[in-house]
Amino acid sequence: MVTRILGIETSCDETAAAVVDDGRTTRSSVVASQADLHARFGGVVPEIASRAHVELIDDVIAQALIEAGTQLSEIDVVAAVHGPGLAGALLVGVSAGKALALAQRIPYVGVNHHEAHMYAALLEDPTLEPPLLTLVASGGHTLLVAMEDHGCYRIVGQTVDDAAGEAFDKVARFLGFGYPGGPVIDRLARTGNAKAIR
Amino acid sequence: MLLLAIDTATRRVGAAFASDHGVLGRVEVGGPGDSRPRHAEALVPAIEYLANECAVRLDQLSAIAVGTGPGMFTGLRVGVTTARALALALRVPLIPIASLDLLAYPLRHGRSLVVPAIDARRNEVYYAIYRPVPGGVQRESAYELGTPEDLASELEARGVDALLCGDGAVRFADAFRHLDRVEFAGTGHVAPSLSALVELAIPRFEREQFCAADEVRPIYLRQSDAEISWEGKM
Ligand SMILES: [Zn+2]
Repeated sequence: MVTRILGIETSCDETAAAVVDDGRTTRSSVVASQADLHARFGGVVPEIASRAHVELIDDVIAQALIEAGTQLSEIDVVAAVHGPGLAGALLVGVSAGKALALAQRIPYVGVNHHEAHMYAALLEDPTLEPPLLTLVASGGHTLLVAMEDHGCYRIVGQTVDDAAGEAFDKVARFLGFGYPGGPVIDRLARTGNAKAIR
Repeated sequence: MLLLAIDTATRRVGAAFASDHGVLGRVEVGGPGDSRPRHAEALVPAIEYLANECAVRLDQLSAIAVGTGPGMFTGLRVGVTTARALALALRVPLIPIASLDLLAYPLRHGRSLVVPAIDARRNEVYYAIYRPVPGGVQRESAYELGTPEDLASELEARGVDALLCGDGAVRFADAFRHLDRVEFAGTGHVAPSLSALVELAIPRFEREQFCAADEVRPIYLRQSDAEISWEGKM
């Protein structure tokens, strides 16, 4: 028996939904980026992100079901990212997930944002099994986590102030590269002079 | 006919089921005194509890009516998103109704203007002005955002009797006390009425006045701070 999971993610400026079988096989993954909405403000504006999620969430979920070749009646579990993230933005995905689970009379599972990042690695390489050492480098966090077993974690290290992603975005804003600046820095850094500053 | 009615425009989280004969049951959680809003945690369990108590199943629903504000942004997003997701899953139509209308409708039997005001924080209220007419109320203004003092001077300028309701009227009562033609509707009229939502939604259901899910969105009235300061710079 396959366990078919609908996952929902609205923690920041992307509205996303995916259908995954048994936590291993991605049947669909739909991501609607709002980067254009935030660009002129030089960063993600929480209120704008939250409003956009309300507009986008139904279509993103419907599209994820279509691309997965499935329908709600075949979904066994609904999961949504519970945080950390932007509170108002998270509420949209959580509300949609809870409502769908209620309507279908299936379980709803709230998932920790960091945990979701760690398990993304297991989708890339299905042979991975704990114990594992994972590096979480998201927009807001940089963490080294020892995953001793499924659901069993120990943070072994993290940045003392900003996450790596925040540092990228701040430098980009400083240099006037606009938002999101991280990818620009990333690209330019490849051709930079590593010896310029000693 | 089975209707689910939801309003989350204020700190009160409200849900009701109704048939053609009226409200079958309702749950209301929270209110103006709550220190933190709890829409996201309370709404779905409230609907689930209510369905059990009323012995109805969601797959029997004919339509979902939802209060669309204006009001608390996070509350509205929880209510509207929940209603839209339920409608998507259950393939039922949505009937959006402004939450200010839901405050005004129960006060339709008097002669005074009815003026609901919902707390918008930052010393402002969302409000609108309604006139009682046979069978209901007629809105005579746009849905407005302004300070309680703005509203008080508007009412003073109109120079007619007015009945204030809503959590904004409670919170900013002092701004209106000097007006001798303004009365307060009292503690029964602080949150948008679920009975009004049912009463207003049923005829729209019968006339098939539905909205596509993506047309059902919160009435915000106020832009985000980032947009306000952006436009200030232009
Ligand atoms: Zn992330």
